[in-house]
Amino acid sequence: MAKGKGGMLRIFIVFLIIEVALVILSGNFSRQIQVVNEEGQFELTHAPVHFDLQAKISEEFQHDKYVADEGHPLEIYGSEGLYNFFAKLSEKFTIFGDPTPIGTFRLLRMLLIVDLVLLTIGFLVFRALKTRPSQPQILFELLYSMFDGFVEESLGKKLIKFTPYVFTIFLFLIVCNMIGMIPIPGFMEPTRNLNVPLGLGLMVVFVVHVTAIAVKGPVGYLKDYMTPLMPLDVIGEAAKGVSIAFRLFGNILGGAIIILVVSSLVKFVLLPIGLNLFFGMFVGAVQAFVFTMLALSYISVAISD
Amino acid sequence: METIDATAMELLANGIMKASAFLGAGICMGIGALGPGVGEGFVGGKACEGIARSPENQSLIMRTMLVGQAVSESTGIYSLVIALLLIFATG
Amino acid sequence: MTMTAEIIQICSFLGAGIGVGIASVTSGVGTGIIADQANIALMKQPKAYDKLFSTMLIGQAATGTGGIFSLVVALLLLFGGFEQGVVHIHRAAAMLAAGLAVGLGAVGPALGAGYSGGEACRSIGRMPRQGNIIMGNMLIGQALSQSSSIFALVVSLLLIFSTPMAIEDPTAARLIQKFIAYLGSGLAIGLGTLGPGAGIGFVAGKANDAIGRFPRERAKVIRTMFLGAAVSESTAIYALVVSFLLIFAVG
Repeated sequence: MAKGKGGMLRIFIVFLIIEVALVILSGNFSRQIQVVNEEGQFELTHAPVHFDLQAKISEEFQHDKYVADEGHPLEIYGSEGLYNFFAKLSEKFTIFGDPTPIGTFRLLRMLLIVDLVLLTIGFLVFRALKTRPSQPQILFELLYSMFDGFVEESLGKKLIKFTPYVFTIFLFLIVCNMIGMIPIPGFMEPTRNLNVPLGLGLMVVFVVHVTAIAVKGPVGYLKDYMTPLMPLDVIGEAAKGVSIAFRLFGNILGGAIIILVVSSLVKFVLLPIGLNLFFGMFVGAVQAFVFTMLALSYISVAISD
Repeated sequence: METIDATAMELLANGIMKASAFLGAGICMGIGALGPGVGEGFVGGKACEGIARSPENQSLIMRTMLVGQAVSESTGIYSLVIALLLIFATG
Repeated sequence: MTMTAEIIQICSFLGAGIGVGIASVTSGVGTGIIADQANIALMKQPKAYDKLFSTMLIGQAATGTGGIFSLVVALLLLFGGFEQGVVHIHRAAAMLAAGLAVGLGAVGPALGAGYSGGEACRSIGRMPRQGNIIMGNMLIGQALSQSSSIFALVVSLLLIFSTPMAIEDPTAARLIQKFIAYLGSGLAIGLGTLGPGAGIGFVAGKANDAIGRFPRERAKVIRTMFLGAAVSESTAIYALVVSFLLIFAVG
């Protein structure tokens, strides 16, 4: 174990030295060493870097409109077929925001990648299922039994069938929140777009009320709302879905903006790694857990007398 | 005395009205978030204490905590509603 | 409009000064609470010197985060040079609001993190064997409570970097609207993080206390802490949404 730690440290130090050397060699922070191929021979040049923070942030917020206005080249990275499909789709169905296809395309592509990751993990773990478990199997069984315990504690033995739902939300959200750390251009957390958390929040509210009707019966369910404070109760129920969605969205978006701004202030040296660790791993995991637990607790509040 | 164009004056008055609505929205949400935040934190803290003392009643305490926090959050939601009304429904 | 650049610079200086000033008030109070509790605990339990000392230092560092944020924003405001080129008067409000947001936004979280760190020190003094667990929990709680000051930092960086330098149709009415909308967004997030920051800190402090008393129930206590902190954060998120709307969607 100690050996592995030392190896990691050595790799880290080598990367740091390379990074610092590059910064010193390039002399100016707004320039970058680039290898160019002109007239048949390779050459190292100092090329100015264009990093426009303002444009980057406003792209974050209104990227659909921004891309459409500026005549910006579409960054679709060689998946024209998928893009055309989404373009056709978004002509017919739009939910929120501008009906331009690029934003929808980016979001749906990221969601597909997340699903692919989850399916791959599931397939790999499921294929090697044994009585004497391998390490990944132990990990996932441990997680599953932990969530089983949570569900049993708050909903009781009868409603243990909710574990797959709750556990799926958790896995989906944790992969969503962490996938932005992978340094591939165009990768972003799907939860950074308001539509994804809002959809999940609406789903949670729907599940809560359906479960309440199923457990208490329609009469018992309606009886809960027959109080003088009925309009406030209804607002409160709607606010549950909104607040659970905005909590996730605000945390992830805030982290993304902080990483962007601070990285550009320190010229992308070293600090972004720590920020990515904090916002990607810690905040992402905490928010995924909180979303899951709140969904569970809302159900348990709704089915209690 | 110079004469001031009546339409320009009206535009200016409209702008000032909207501007004060925006300031009102900001202050409303800001101060309105103060009380619920502290109150919900108090509820959560006491719930932590209670669960540590009697862990067998955990689900009951947690349910009570969530209900209490939902009730104490309602004023925060009212100020959110008012702020949104001030931003979008005035002028 | 020849005075615009000077006014923007004056507002930048004002924002920088007010921001750092307000932020340092409760950073000082919070770090003081931690040191106070650590000293009391040390008096009762002198053998736990090492753990108490490291907990105190780490807790104070986490409590000072909001102050450091406001220092960063103040340096940006002082040396950013945002008054050059074609600018309109609404940028002055953006500068002032950036300072106000990050300064006011540091008040609540610093108080909360200070309370949490103080309870952690007291708890370690009572039960030095659980020192590592309590310190870990203290760090998690302080990170949760500082997340609202991170929201304030996000808004103030957006106000500095992401508001347009000049607007297309600079009539007086539009300029006034933009000016006051930026001021409102800064006030919304600054005042709005005050309550949640202090509240989350209270949750984390009580959780530290409870873990120190009943270390066996720590899994349940930590889970309750996460839930309580997350729910009490929701009003800060509403304030964040309102200030995003005021920056981007109006005017």
